[in-house]
Amino acid sequence: MFKKAAFLVLLVLSFMACDKNDDDQAQQNTPVSVGFLHSFYEDEVSVSSNTIQYTNGFGTSLSITRLRYLISQVSFTNQDGIKTLVKDYHLVDLSQDNSLTINDILLPPGAYNLKMRFGFTEATNTSSIYPDLNAASWNVPENLGGGYHYMQLEGRWLDPGDTPDEPYLYAYHTISAVQNPGPENTREDTSIEIDLGEITVTQGATQINVNMHIDQWFENPNLWNLSELNGLLMGNYTAQKMMQENGQNVFSLASNMGD
Amino acid sequence: MTQKILFIFCLLCIAISCGEDDNENQGYSPTPVSIVVPAIFSQLLPAPEIPINNPLTQEGVALGRALFYEKKLSADNTLACAGCHKPNQSFSDQRRYSIGIDGIAGFRNSMPIVNIAWNTNNKFNWDGSANSLEEQVLEPVINEIEMHNTWPNVEQTLQTDPRYVTAFSNAFGTSTISQELVAKALAQFIRTLVSGNTKFDNYLLGQATLTPQEEQGLAVFLDENRGDCFHCHGSPSNPLWTDNDFHNNGLDEDFTDLGLGDITGDPAQFGLFKSPSLRNLAYTAPYMHDGRFQTLDQVIDHYSEGLVFSPTIDPLMKTVAQGGVQLTPQDKAALKAFLLTLSDPSLASNPAYQNPN
Ligand code: HEC
Ligand code: HEC
Repeated sequence: MFKKAAFLVLLVLSFMACDKNDDDQAQQNTPVSVGFLHSFYEDEVSVSSNTIQYTNGFGTSLSITRLRYLISQVSFTNQDGIKTLVKDYHLVDLSQDNSLTINDILLPPGAYNLKMRFGFTEATNTSSIYPDLNAASWNVPENLGGGYHYMQLEGRWLDPGDTPDEPYLYAYHTISAVQNPGPENTREDTSIEIDLGEITVTQGATQINVNMHIDQWFENPNLWNLSELNGLLMGNYTAQKMMQENGQNVFSLASNMGD
Repeated sequence: MTQKILFIFCLLCIAISCGEDDNENQGYSPTPVSIVVPAIFSQLLPAPEIPINNPLTQEGVALGRALFYEKKLSADNTLACAGCHKPNQSFSDQRRYSIGIDGIAGFRNSMPIVNIAWNTNNKFNWDGSANSLEEQVLEPVINEIEMHNTWPNVEQTLQTDPRYVTAFSNAFGTSTISQELVAKALAQFIRTLVSGNTKFDNYLLGQATLTPQEEQGLAVFLDENRGDCFHCHGSPSNPLWTDNDFHNNGLDEDFTDLGLGDITGDPAQFGLFKSPSLRNLAYTAPYMHDGRFQTLDQVIDHYSEGLVFSPTIDPLMKTVAQGGVQLTPQDKAALKAFLLTLSDPSLASNPAYQNPN
């Protein structure tokens, strides 16, 4: 009886130990972390702030009071084409330091292609299924297609030369583009694959930084006019498609930034 | 040989799992208990967060409950936590400002204390001034306009009561009463205060139906062009009905109370307050951090046409230039009807929450 129980314990333990990788790999594995940095042209954006200190491609001055976005399917593909999925999804929140890095990645040293996705694919963007994202109120109402937000970028803005008493507000929210908001809506995948190219994992700790060029959301290819498109963007299909286009060039590797 | 290794393995496992508590040798063994998680919470939310160094036990929760209703925590033995956190008001207070033992009123409305175990942001009070529940509960006791006591005095008072000496010994394995242990016991009890039995919870479980008006109200709540309440106050996917985060929802042009900004000193956070849960609004009037609104109608009017600009106003208050989203009378009535489906009438009568003393 005792032997049986002990055997079971051993079995369970060995399963636990083998969760991700087999034994001889485990010996070579080295810790990797992926950090998220943010910039507006040359300026590093590291905290949300009320100060209108950035100027976008359209010439509008703006502040960034809040930035949260969802990254999914973070994967490393080695030279043999073997892909390791290291994170299903990750919510980055500029105001939460511990959200700015994905830790606990273990990989054998070598060259990899690093890929991730901005937002959720259709297949993974199912309403209500991620408890931590529900608690973070990251959901999209069913009438707007359901599922989850991709990004919430918010702040204030002013037109050049304009000095109103009250700066205007913007909420640049990206989601799966939705047509026909309401009970009969149809949703379209506007998540963005981010191919960060080749990276090298070396023995010892490897830190990889990904930079979000926030300025690009307002510029390329669609020059963004905040006086026309500043809010109510979730239900605006055309705006969502434009955001998806602008998002293509937003992310890049930034291994040397912040050092 | 293998048997020996296995045996050592098992021993190790046991040792690891017991690493945290070194009380075994003191010969006390409190009974672990867990929070009663409502069905809809286990479907939608992460498991409640319990600090490793303060696990819930039957004895700890019972002690916390006694302390929550204990007037001896106040300097003149007249005011318990429950005096400002009443079970039939979702553990808040219907007075705009609660009155402390010296007859002096505070400057903020008491907060409801339910579903605290799901506040994973771990920021407590309207202004986020406390970073854990254990830290929060220490404060009212020594607050000059609340219980106006000192911790040495509380410790001494409780120490002279044999019932408490036994209760602390049963809960924590020591008969030396300290502020840390009082805080731990209170925090344990507070974590068991769970509200998850509203009409809307039951609707989500398929056990209740909404009236057409309530459904219309839900639609207003979730509509970017009308209520747009979901960005801060949860949704059918977030039954906490709060994001536990801080915002300026357009109440004042000038601040008499800086809220979060007073704690952080950051001007970008002046006038930000924690989004309260919309659960149990039927019992938590008056509303807002200063209890300025007596009725839900006033709250809805505020969002509809009463918004005012200040430099830190939340960008989601996008219609501030027009004073708000300008809801029709029908939409207002529907929104109110919906909000009232988020109230839990069974909370007040839960026998586990009553005064045991
Ligand atoms: C005199 C009235 C009064 C008494 C007595 C009182 N409180 Fe409070 N409580 C308040 C008020 C007012 C607030 C909001 C404080 C603020 O934001 O500045 C509050 C906030 C809280 C919160 C924060 C809830 C949240 O979600 O952030 C907790 C927890 C709490 N009280 C627990 C207690 C406990 C435990 C006791 C007894 C030791 C107690 N209170 C005694 C009035 C009182
Ligand atoms: C930008 C975030 C935000 C949005 C959007 C928002 N609220 Fe609030 N709400 C808050 C904050 C923050 C408070 C507390 C403000 C204070 O006390 O200073 C609050 C307070 C309340 C209260 C008072 C609750 C209490 O117990 O005191 C109610 C009710 C309420 N909101 C309902 C709504 C409704 C209905 C909507 C949509 C029309 C809405 N809110 C939209 C952030 C928001």
